[in-house]
Amino acid sequence: MNFSRTWSIYVKELVDLLRDHRTLLAMIVVPIVLYPALMLGGIQVLSTQTAELEESRFVIAFQEKSHWDDVIAPMLQDEITLLQARRAKAAADGASEELLAAMPKPVAPLIDPKITLNLEEAVRSRQVHCGVIVESAGNLQVPGQEQWRLKLLYQPEDLRSQVASERLTAAFERVADSVVERRLRMRQLDPVLIKPIVVAREQLTSAGSVLGLIVPLILVLMTITGAIYPAIDVTAGERERGTLESLMVCPVPVIDLICGKFMVVSTIAIIGAALNLASVTVTVFLGGFQQMLNMGAAEGEAGFPFWALPVVLLCLIPLAVLMSAIMIAVCSCARTFKEAQNYVLPVILAALFPGGIAALPGSRLEGLNLVMPVGNMVLLTRELLSGAHVPAASYAWVLLSTCLYAVAAVALAANVFGRESVLFADSVSLKAVFNRRLFRPAELPTLSSAALYTALLFPIWFHVQNLLQISSDDAVAGAIRGTALLLPVLFVLVPVAAMSYWRVELKKSLRTAMPSGRFLIGGVLIGLTAWIPASELFVFQDAYLASPPSLVEMNKSLMAALESMSLPMALLCLAIVPGVGEELFFRGFLLSAFGTKLKPWTAILATAIIFGVFHFIIFRFAVTMGLGIVLGVLCWRSRSVWPGIIAHVLHNGLAVYTVYNEGWRRSIGIPESETWPVHLPWHVILVGGGIFLLGIACVIVRSGQPPVQAEPAVG
Amino acid sequence: MAMIEVDNLTKEFHDSDGRAFRAVDGLSFQVEAGQIYGLLGPNGAGKTTSLRMLSALMTPSSGRITVNGYTVGEHVFEIKQSIGFLTANTGLYQRLSPRDVLRYFGELHGFDKQQARDRCEVLIREMDITDFSDQRCGTLSTGQKQRTNIARALIADPPVLIMDEPTLGLDVMSNRVILDFIIAQREAGKAIILSTHYLDEAETMCDMIGLLHRGRIVAEGTIDELRERADAVRLSSIFLKLIHAHDPLEGVLP
Repeated sequence: MNFSRTWSIYVKELVDLLRDHRTLLAMIVVPIVLYPALMLGGIQVLSTQTAELEESRFVIAFQEKSHWDDVIAPMLQDEITLLQARRAKAAADGASEELLAAMPKPVAPLIDPKITLNLEEAVRSRQVHCGVIVESAGNLQVPGQEQWRLKLLYQPEDLRSQVASERLTAAFERVADSVVERRLRMRQLDPVLIKPIVVAREQLTSAGSVLGLIVPLILVLMTITGAIYPAIDVTAGERERGTLESLMVCPVPVIDLICGKFMVVSTIAIIGAALNLASVTVTVFLGGFQQMLNMGAAEGEAGFPFWALPVVLLCLIPLAVLMSAIMIAVCSCARTFKEAQNYVLPVILAALFPGGIAALPGSRLEGLNLVMPVGNMVLLTRELLSGAHVPAASYAWVLLSTCLYAVAAVALAANVFGRESVLFADSVSLKAVFNRRLFRPAELPTLSSAALYTALLFPIWFHVQNLLQISSDDAVAGAIRGTALLLPVLFVLVPVAAMSYWRVELKKSLRTAMPSGRFLIGGVLIGLTAWIPASELFVFQDAYLASPPSLVEMNKSLMAALESMSLPMALLCLAIVPGVGEELFFRGFLLSAFGTKLKPWTAILATAIIFGVFHFIIFRFAVTMGLGIVLGVLCWRSRSVWPGIIAHVLHNGLAVYTVYNEGWRRSIGIPESETWPVHLPWHVILVGGGIFLLGIACVIVRSGQPPVQAEPAVG
Repeated sequence: MAMIEVDNLTKEFHDSDGRAFRAVDGLSFQVEAGQIYGLLGPNGAGKTTSLRMLSALMTPSSGRITVNGYTVGEHVFEIKQSIGFLTANTGLYQRLSPRDVLRYFGELHGFDKQQARDRCEVLIREMDITDFSDQRCGTLSTGQKQRTNIARALIADPPVLIMDEPTLGLDVMSNRVILDFIIAQREAGKAIILSTHYLDEAETMCDMIGLLHRGRIVAEGTIDELRERADAVRLSSIFLKLIHAHDPLEGVLP
């Protein structure tokens, strides 16, 4: 990639877009007007609704007039007396105005009684809010054993009906309590006797907490919409205005073009996100809505977390980048502005769906939500804006997964934009994209297809792992067996099926050719000793980034699970299947695809990072990535996947075997796992490390012919 | 060696059901430096597809193209550097000025900022753009746009010019600008391919004419040679006769 040319494209597109008043309108005016309007309007609507419910009257139906006149009305009259007494007592005790205002109000003055025979029908058809059936009645004033049986009919779907039923129930209970109290006193008993626990509920959420749920979703959506107009303008717009052809005859690679365009769309989306955020801040600050954004925080507690705003902005950047890439990929298929707008709509809906799920009050930033595209950002923003503490690992998951999706989308955009069929087609036919007869046989999978599959696989694999742990009775052992079953399917069978469908040469892509002997020997040596540098690396990391107790717990449960399995089964599930499957995927499929566009070292590093990420434990990331680099070099140098498989299987197998046979470990003086992580004994480091380096030497020392780099795939 | 050599070029397209259709079928011709080669043919004859393959915008299904000594498929960037490409419906960036556009394309062709600025000023003088060089392209007249477009095609001073119906839909004045420019470029020693519908235009301008029909050259030669072969004077009659001879069922002018 030629950066100065990409920069020229970037500058030109930026000038072009900023001279367009439509961009400025969408970018600046909308956020400045939207948030104040939304907050003021939203709060007014909400408070009006709440006030309406407080003041609204309820129509309550009875079967006979006497039920109201003789039973319920006196009962509710008792409630009025009770509450008045309570209020008078509170006022005498010096309660504040607000406290008095917050005290329960009697329900009787709000009731419009209605007499009708068919109560059920009346409630169902919403003619009345509640129905009260008096099943048996006695005289409340007469001391004794009498019991009154009432039945309340209401409709939970109707908010008014529900509120009516709640208020009636509360009134009846209050009256019942006072009757009980009276009865006890008559028998010279203390009412405390039957009321050992008194619960006072204090509700602290306000109308604004709903805004606290919605504002993050709107922020995220506005960031997404910020990318739409520029994305259409630089792709479909360019085609519609007839400038695309003259651009494509310039001696500039498509990837440079797309990167310049993508950078500009991202810039505009990020500026838009920043302006949106600034507008939220100003609205909150000037409008005095701070309390309302903090869900559940008591009065006087930490106000609106202004410190979180730069963090929120930083988090919105990867999202802006991701959506810019997706929009460019989608709009590249369109010939006209209008067509592009049609394509964009489903994308927004698709983004709205996870975003909406995340905006539900019950959603939390954990589990699958951490890697849910868009949704994770809504949740993260919400947590940050509510002033909650977000663990570093959660940040890492959200940002990492979003970046991964963004890379895949950029790769896809470059692939789509440069395609001849898209460039000149009168219409892009989906059928043609999947018509096997039209595919040219290719030697290797393309970078964009591999990146796309990896990005899709990431949340799927994350979900599968979580699901396996939940679904099996014996969590860890079940998860191990389930993983061993699904890993070959997702990491080998699906990519192999896709590659053979798109006519990609399997043998070359998966690098299944036999290498020369020295690489096999190197693989064996590395596989037997890689645990030594891995263990030392972990000790080193532990000094700076202490591993949490949960990791030790996890290791313990893993070992316990292993002991419940037979050795051959454990070896199969934890050494052979992952060894073969992961090598075929990461070093076969992925490294081949990455090698078509990236320099060898970049490709090895990229696959190693993805390899580390797919192991899902942040504290093992460095070690896994290190192993990924060694295995990547092994595969690249030998041009074969076999030495890596040998090394990987041996490495994992050795770890499993250690659990079953601690004896050999003690015999070479390795400390017990309880004291872990600690340095290995010096003699082990020296001898084992020596063998490891020997293995590396077998791999990297050049023999006669230099290794040939893989040719880029065609088409 | 000729500046442009096309040898047995074919291009197949597939519809959505995968049926193949040959837009260009065994096309061969040569263009020398200082020559205007007219590519004539009815709609759908394969003119635009051929020119797109020549400019490395499309990959040929088979065959070989050499431009300025570089081969399409192998030296994509050198080829793109050697070619100036112009069509009648080439647009300009509405919100940029001609000066912005020329500098931008200069930078895309690998000039640094200073070089791009210098080349841009030269072209602004040569193409007489000075008066409107800082207006936005959206506000220019058709003739002014055409001159800007020509300047854009000449930005890297390419030895080869490919013109796909450059005068389609233009008025007489703008038409004149383009044709004068093409003749001037021939004088400057460029190899020029001109695809056009206007037969009188081809008659007066082209040194060589290739009649393209259904993806093949059905007749090739100077205007005099073609007159002789078809035994007709006007190019329109020649055109009809030769195409008719090749394909008796056809015979309708586009």
